[in-house]
Amino acid sequence: MNKKKVTITIIALSFLAFAWIGYITLNPDQENPGMIRFLSLADIQTVNQTERIRLGGLVSPGTILVSEQNLLECKFHLEQGEHTVPVQFIGTRPDLFKDEAEVIVEGIFVDGLFKADQLQTKCASRYEGDLRDESSYKSEAI
Amino acid sequence: MTPVLGSISLSLALGISAVSILLFSLFLKSEDYRFYLAGWRAALSVSVLSILATFFLLNELLISNFDIKYVAHYTSLETPTFYKITALWAGQSGSLLFWLFILSVYSLIVLAQYKNSFTKLMPWVSIVLVAVQSFFLILVNFVENPFSPTDADFVVVNGNGLNPLLQNLTMAIHPPTLYLGYVGFTVPFAFAIAALVTKDTGSLWVRSIRRWTLIAWLFQSGGIILGGWWAYQELGWGGYWAWDPVENASFMPWLTGTAFLHSIIIQEKKGMLKTWNMILILLTFTLCIFGTFLTRSGVMSSVHSFAVSNLGPVFLGFIAILLVVCTFLIIIRFPILKSEKQIESFTSRESGFLFNNVIFCVICFAVFWGTIFPVLSEAIRGEKITVGAPFFNQVNVPIGLMLLFLTGVGPLLVWRRTSKEAFIKNFTIPVLTGLVIFVFCFSMGLRNATLISFPLCGFVTMAILIEFQRGIKSRVTRFNESFLGALKMLISKNRSRYGGYIVHLGIMFMFIGFSGNAFDSETEFAIKTGETKEFGGYNFELVNIQPIERPNHIAWIAGLNVWNFHHELVTTLFPEKRVYFYKDPNPDKRQPHSELDIYSTLNKDIYSIFSGVDMEQQIAYLKIMINPLVWWVWFGGYVLIFGTMISLWPAKDSE
Repeated sequence: MNKKKVTITIIALSFLAFAWIGYITLNPDQENPGMIRFLSLADIQTVNQTERIRLGGLVSPGTILVSEQNLLECKFHLEQGEHTVPVQFIGTRPDLFKDEAEVIVEGIFVDGLFKADQLQTKCASRYEGDLRDESSYKSEAI
Repeated sequence: MTPVLGSISLSLALGISAVSILLFSLFLKSEDYRFYLAGWRAALSVSVLSILATFFLLNELLISNFDIKYVAHYTSLETPTFYKITALWAGQSGSLLFWLFILSVYSLIVLAQYKNSFTKLMPWVSIVLVAVQSFFLILVNFVENPFSPTDADFVVVNGNGLNPLLQNLTMAIHPPTLYLGYVGFTVPFAFAIAALVTKDTGSLWVRSIRRWTLIAWLFQSGGIILGGWWAYQELGWGGYWAWDPVENASFMPWLTGTAFLHSIIIQEKKGMLKTWNMILILLTFTLCIFGTFLTRSGVMSSVHSFAVSNLGPVFLGFIAILLVVCTFLIIIRFPILKSEKQIESFTSRESGFLFNNVIFCVICFAVFWGTIFPVLSEAIRGEKITVGAPFFNQVNVPIGLMLLFLTGVGPLLVWRRTSKEAFIKNFTIPVLTGLVIFVFCFSMGLRNATLISFPLCGFVTMAILIEFQRGIKSRVTRFNESFLGALKMLISKNRSRYGGYIVHLGIMFMFIGFSGNAFDSETEFAIKTGETKEFGGYNFELVNIQPIERPNHIAWIAGLNVWNFHHELVTTLFPEKRVYFYKDPNPDKRQPHSELDIYSTLNKDIYSIFSGVDMEQQIAYLKIMINPLVWWVWFGGYVLIFGTMISLWPAKDSE
């Protein structure tokens, strides 16, 4: 076996591999896509009803409504500047989910309602924050 | 006083590093040994000063000197002493200093070990080590100084405290282990550059760095596995690997490092693939720096990233320099990196190694592609995209299965060319084993990737066992040893080979664990005390919710009985909902945390997360997951570490 044959084999294999990676990039699994667009609320009206997308924004104050039948279900309005979108979320709500919390939701937009199955709160980390607030209390009190 | 000493040590170290490089250069020019000795001493002081600075910071953390920003941000008076120490690598500047600390320790060892040998390589090895040190010294001196004072116009009474997620024994070990891996690749990198510059690219340098690479690889593997273990035990999303950018960052150098450890064997035995090996080790180190950049610059948001910082451009500059220098060296040294022999056949062990290398690099590229895709997409199309686990799984599962297949095939192939007879003799039993498992899995109704992975695991196991059996048998007949005696001698006579096989077994066990992912299931429910919910073949009964106050947090503990359908109690789980800093008047500063509980067995884990509590109505919000075969991932990890240690253990009679 000569060197040429080895080189050709390796190049062919690499080409196949690139093709495979490219194919998956362009044709993601529809049900469980690996690549999800992160849209602003202004663009949301144009989205296809079957596409999973992500949205980010603030929880409009006073809009959180927890369903009485299913404690895991809640509705709220997500706002971003002038735009608001009603969101329905089924699942455990993160601890930091409350009015004016910064959240990221993932799901589909159907008939004017964003049906989310994932909700993350952007953590207001005390560990990166300003020291002034922390120093306002005495250590004995903690 | 000591903070000043810390800053001074770092500044001095940076200055001396420049002097050291200058002295080594003078030695190279004049060949005057006194310059070498002086440079060597300067390099030594750079390391000693960097190590000293680290101890100074450690001291500040232990005495809670909140006048230092870093101390105030990552510890508080309540932080237990042990976690005050681990806070050293909890934040940005501290972890950069810690990188430098580990590099300095490695440097000291290299400087001491090879002081009088490798005279041709050593000046260059030292220059590269000091140059990398000086890069990190620039970072900790000018960009992120760990000793910078608290910028506040008031007295800081207490610090922020360490994130409860990080107050965990695994989290204390995971970063240092991973760092030992990342940083460890600097040593083979330095040897590779030195070999290229001095044109001494024979197999001598290969042998001397093989052990160093293996040490770095051991820590890198251990660090990655510990990280997965921590995520599984603490983060509470039920998995151990999320293809998070920073996880990927640690995985990429691991992949190229693993490829290097394999292809270096061919260079050692056959004098082939020299250019390729050079590229691999240089790439591995560059990926280590890239990984540190991803973790520290905040360019990607992830669990691991700290706040956005201005480290990015400095790191990117360093990576650019690395790439230019490495490419240049490889190109000008291309003629002397020629192979001494050629691959003779596709069915040779050489070509097995070659395919293995191609696959490792393809996985590495796929991971790299997915990791930087969001950045590319935003820069080119202005579209924000997140690339999640499904993408990486979709791409890598088939490639990973091919790799698993090769793990079994490789050892069965013979150097140069495998004859037809040997082929049949070596492959019959493993292939039959695989087929039997395939038929069994098929009849059990498996139709996903596990239908391939389980038979492959059987194939690989049998291939490795046959290798052991053959070796033992020949020793038993030749030296009349007992079975166990022969096994012991077999391993100790050829540690790197049989240690390697044990590592392969570990990988195989881990693949069994990964396959279990295909059968994961989860549910969420709100449950009142006394109620029972059914899921995954079990009944979950919430017995009570007990509040308890502990030194630095308050916790609600759910007592959750798990019954099987024969009305037998399987286990009682006690997941906790905790709030740290619950007395903080500002509710935003209280830190909620879910401490999960897992019932783990060989065939499945029952994983419970207490995500929310409503004490007035006695309602617990719980998430339950049933994760089959996860135990095998950790078991495989232990086997992998054990096998690597066997490979590393020095032989009794010096080689």
